[in-house]
Amino acid sequence: MRWQYCWKTALVLVVQLAVVGAASEQFDEDLTIRPLRDGKLSARFSFSSLLKDARPRDPQQLSNDDEAQHYALFPLALGQILREYAVTELHLSLNAGKWNYDAWGYPDEPGIGTGAELWVWMGESMPASVDLRWQGLRNALAGLFCASLGHLDEQRTTAPALTFQPEGSLPNFTYPHQLRHATLPSEHVCTENLTPFLKLLPCKSLSGIASLLNPHRLFDADWHGLGVHVRYQEAVGVEVRLTFQGVFDPVRYSNERRRDWSLHSVFDRSIERACPVARSSKIRVELPPGSSPYSITPDPSAINDGVATYVVDASEEALDVAMRWPMEDTFEYPNTSEAPPLTEVSVRRNLKGTNQAEAQLTLVVTNNLPVQVTAGYLETMPWLLQFHLHTFHAHVNGVARDDLVSILSYTPPVPHSRPALLQAVLTLPPSSTLHLTMDVVKPFLRYTEHQPDAQRGWDLPPAVLVPFAFGKGQNSTVAASHGRRPRRIYTPIMLVDLATPDFSMPYNVIIMSCTLIALIFGSVFNLLTRKFVVVRVSSAPAAPAEAAAEQRQR
Amino acid sequence: MAHVDPAQLCFEHVRTRRYIIASYWLVVILAIPLWWKTTSIERLALPASRVHAASRREILFPVTVNLETKDGTDAAAAAQGVKFWLEMDRAVGLASAVDISVTTGNKSSAAYNVVLGRGDREPAVEGRQLYFDMLPEDDQLSWDVSMGRLANTLSKLLMPYSTYAASHLQAQRVMTYSPRYRLAFTLLNEDAASGNAALAWDVRGAIQTHFVPLLDKLSVLHNFTIESQVQFHAPLAFETQPIQHEDSEAHGLTHEDLTVFVNSAEWTLSSSASNDPVMHFVLFIPSAKNSPLHILDHEGSVHPSNAFLLPQWGGIVLLNPTHPPSSTLNPLPRLSAADLDPVFNTFAYQLLTLLGVPGLPRDVQPVRGPAGTSQEPFTEWELDALLRRRAVENVRGSSETLESIVRLVNQIEGMPVGPDVKDDVQDALEALNEVHEASRFSPIAALKSSARALTLSSRAFFNPGMLALLYFPAEHNYAVYTPLFASVAAPLVGAVLREIAAWRRARRAAREQANAPAQQTIAEPARGQ
Repeated sequence: MRWQYCWKTALVLVVQLAVVGAASEQFDEDLTIRPLRDGKLSARFSFSSLLKDARPRDPQQLSNDDEAQHYALFPLALGQILREYAVTELHLSLNAGKWNYDAWGYPDEPGIGTGAELWVWMGESMPASVDLRWQGLRNALAGLFCASLGHLDEQRTTAPALTFQPEGSLPNFTYPHQLRHATLPSEHVCTENLTPFLKLLPCKSLSGIASLLNPHRLFDADWHGLGVHVRYQEAVGVEVRLTFQGVFDPVRYSNERRRDWSLHSVFDRSIERACPVARSSKIRVELPPGSSPYSITPDPSAINDGVATYVVDASEEALDVAMRWPMEDTFEYPNTSEAPPLTEVSVRRNLKGTNQAEAQLTLVVTNNLPVQVTAGYLETMPWLLQFHLHTFHAHVNGVARDDLVSILSYTPPVPHSRPALLQAVLTLPPSSTLHLTMDVVKPFLRYTEHQPDAQRGWDLPPAVLVPFAFGKGQNSTVAASHGRRPRRIYTPIMLVDLATPDFSMPYNVIIMSCTLIALIFGSVFNLLTRKFVVVRVSSAPAAPAEAAAEQRQR
Repeated sequence: MAHVDPAQLCFEHVRTRRYIIASYWLVVILAIPLWWKTTSIERLALPASRVHAASRREILFPVTVNLETKDGTDAAAAAQGVKFWLEMDRAVGLASAVDISVTTGNKSSAAYNVVLGRGDREPAVEGRQLYFDMLPEDDQLSWDVSMGRLANTLSKLLMPYSTYAASHLQAQRVMTYSPRYRLAFTLLNEDAASGNAALAWDVRGAIQTHFVPLLDKLSVLHNFTIESQVQFHAPLAFETQPIQHEDSEAHGLTHEDLTVFVNSAEWTLSSSASNDPVMHFVLFIPSAKNSPLHILDHEGSVHPSNAFLLPQWGGIVLLNPTHPPSSTLNPLPRLSAADLDPVFNTFAYQLLTLLGVPGLPRDVQPVRGPAGTSQEPFTEWELDALLRRRAVENVRGSSETLESIVRLVNQIEGMPVGPDVKDDVQDALEALNEVHEASRFSPIAALKSSARALTLSSRAFFNPGMLALLYFPAEHNYAVYTPLFASVAAPLVGAVLREIAAWRRARRAAREQANAPAQQTIAEPARGQ
C-alpha cells in the first residue's frame, strides 16, 4: 500500500516535470472558499491557462491565412474564435441572481451583473472593422456557450471605456484599440451553458478541482455565475481564465440548521484525483473572523493571513475540506440593521410611476465611510427608456445639491437602433445618502419589436458605480494608487413595463377598415344605381290598389 | 305641387344606370392586373434548356501519350497495338471522361511519355514518365501480350476510378470537394489521471515531416488549415471486450464498437469558428483500465492494424504504451517525433484516402531515387487523375444542383426566384462552359472553374430569398383581402344580376308588346260579338 503510494507520487512528479519541461502552456486551478457572515458560503473556481509568449492576432493580418494553431492545454475552440476575430481582451459573464453587496462584500470576480455581459477590446483596423468582428464574435460565442449572445446587437452595444479599462496590456499595434460592451439582463444561465464551459477545461469535470462542479448543486445556489476572461500580458502571453462563482447556503442544506459545511455537503462530491496537467491546484479557505470557535479538517498545507491553503495532489484518499462550528447548535442569523455594510458604498436603483408613458428613475447612493468618496456612475440604457436629462437632480437630506454631480457626459439614444450612454462623477459626502432623480419616457415599440412574452416587461441592464477616490483634498487616497484597480459595483437589474398592444390588433384593424369601406361603397353604389319611383298616395280607398297596379305595369 | 316623374330625370335613365355599373366593373377589371402585379411573387425565368443541355454534356479530357523506344523496336507499331487495345476498352465501356490518343516521336507536346524496353522488370513511374518492359521474346504472341499489358497499365494509371467497384468504394470514403479543409489533429487520452497518458506530443515536427510535403503537392487542389489539441479525459461511450492476446489480458474493439467509437457528446473535436469541412486525425491512448486495446476482426481475433478510417470524417489510430501499465513510471509523458513516426505515416495515408488520391496500380512501382532521396508522396500520374476526377465530380454535382433548382422552381408554384438566384445560375452555367473549354489544355484550370460552378450553384440552391413562400403563403393573402373583396363584390354582382333580370324582363315585355296587337286584332271580333 505504502509502496503504491510512493510510485504514484513519483508518477505525479515525473508528469509534472514533463509538463513543466515541455511547457509553452501552463494550467493552474484554484478554488477560494469564503464563509459569509449570514451563514452562506462563497466559492470561486478559477481555471487559468496561459499561452506563453503568444500575442493576439494583428487585425491587419485578417485577410491572410492564420498560422497553424497547436494547443495542449489552452482551449482550442475558444482559441480559434479569438484568432478568427482578432480579439485582444475578452470578458464574458453569465450570472443568475442578485449579489448582496451589503452582506457579502465585494465578489472575487467583479463582473456580477445579472444576465449576460460581454466586453471586448479589439484593435481598430482594416480590412474587417471592429463592429463587423464584434458581430461575428458574439455569434461565435453564442454558439460556443449555447447562450443568446447573438442578441447583444447594436441596440445594446456601447463603449464606456472609462469604466471597463483593459485588465491586461494592449499590444502596440500601429492603430488604437476600441471597446465594445453589451449586456443582456434577461439571459438566464443554466446547465446548457455549463456543459460547454466544462469542455474548455483540460481536465473537464473528471479530475482535479473541476470535479466539484456538479450542476445539480451549482444551479441550486442562491447566486451563481460563470465567466470567461481572456487577456494579453506583455512579455507573458495570452491568458484564458474560466471562472465559476457561487453563493451556497449550508444552513439550508443541513437538517439541524447549522452552518457547518464540507466540500461533500456543498457540492455532493469530493476531490478523488488530481488533474495530471495542472501546474498548481490549490484550495484556499478564508478563515472567518470573530469570536465563535470553529474547526477545519483536514490540516491545511499552510495558513497565512487568515487563509488556509490545501494543495490537491495525487494522494490516495479523497480530499474533503470541512469546517465546523462545534459550539453552535443552530445558526443565528445576524441582525442586518446592526451589521454595517461591507462595501464603501451601497446603491439602490428604482423606477417609479404607474404610468405607461413616463416614469421617474431614482438612484440612492449611501456612503458608508466617514470620509468623502468620489465614484464614477455609468448607465447604459437601451432606448426602451429615454432620459429627460434636464430633470436630472441630486439631493442630500432633502437639500438640492446638483454640484455633487460633475463631468456629466451623455450620448442620447437613437430609437430602434442605439442605446443611451450616461457617465458622471458623483461626489458622495461622508456618511450620507445621495438621491439622484430623473424623469424618463417610455417609448412605443413597433409591432414586430415586442418579445414573445410581451406582458412580462423588459429587463434593463444594471448601472455600474465605481468608487475611485476616498477622502478629500490632500488626504484623498486614490484606489489605483494602492496598486489595485477600482472595483465595480453593479446595481440590480430593473423591469420596465412598456405599453403593450393587443396583438390581434392588426386583424381587427383589417376587419374594421374593410367593414367601413364596404359600408361607404355600398351606400354610394346604391345611391348611384337605385331606381327612384314616385308612389302617388291618394285619399281614395282604391288608390293603393291603383298604385300597385301602376307599379306592376312598369 | 308640380310632380316630376323620376323616370324622366337624366340620371334615372336605364342607360345611365348601366353606364355607372359598367364603369364600376371597368375599374375593377382594370385594377386586377395592378393587384396581381403588386401581390404576386417575383419569379424570373431560369435558363432551363441550358441547364438540361449542360447536364447532358459529358466532360472529356483529351490525353496524349507518347511512346518512345530505346532499342529500336518499332514505336509506331507499338502505338497501333496499344490503340487497338484501348479501343477495345472503350467499346466495352470501361473508359470514361478521358480520351487517350497515342503518338510517337513528339515527346515535347505529349502530356505523358512511355519508355519501352525489353526485359522482365515491373513497370515503374517517375514524374509523368512510365518505364515499361516488353517481354523479351520476339514472337507475335508475346508482342500482343505486352501491348495488352501496356494498354491495361496505361488505362489504370490514367483512369484509376473507372471500374465500378473501385469508384463505389471510393465515393463512400472520399470527402466531398471543398477548396479548403481544416485538418484537426487530436491527441486523446482516455483518462490521463489513471496514469497511462501522453501529456504532450511533438505534433509540429511530425506535421512538418509527414504532412507538409504532401500538402504542398496537393495545394493545386485544396488549401489546408491545420490545428491540433490534446485532451486528457475522453471517455468511451461503450464497454470494450475483454480478450486474451499473447497470453495476457487485453481489450478489443469489435466492428460495431468502431462505428460508435467517436463519442461526440464528450469529446470536443469540432469547433465553430468556420464552415470549412474538417478532417479529424485522432491518436487515441486507452486508459490503464482498457489497455492494451486492439481492433478485432470478424472472427474475434486481434487484427494486426491498430488504425481505422471513418469515411468522410477522418482517421483514428490507437496507441498502446510500450510498457505495461504496472511500470513504475508513466510510460509516455511526451510523445517524441520518433514515437509519432508510425502514427503520422498512417495519418498521411488516411489523408490521401480521404482526399481520393487513387494510389498506383498494384504492379506499378515508383522509381526509387539513387540513395534514399526523399520520395515523392505520390506521383504526377495520380495527381492528374485526381484533378480530372474532382473536376468531373464537381461538374456532375454542379449540374445536378442546377437541375434540381429548375425542378424545384417548376414544382413549387409560390417559390420566388430573384435576380441573384438567376445570376448565380447563369454564372454557374458560364463556369461549366469554361470547364469544358479548359479541359482541352489544362486540368488545373478545369478544376478551378468546376469548383466555381459548384460554389455558385449551391449558393443559388441555398439562397434564403427562395424561402419567402414559407412566410407569406397565398392563403394568408386571401384571408386579408376577403373581408374587403367579399363585401364590395356582393352589391356589384347583385346590381349586375338585377340589371340583367330587368333587361330580360324589358325584352320579354317588348316582345309581348310586339305580339300583342296581332292578338288584339284576332280577339277584337270576338269581343264585338
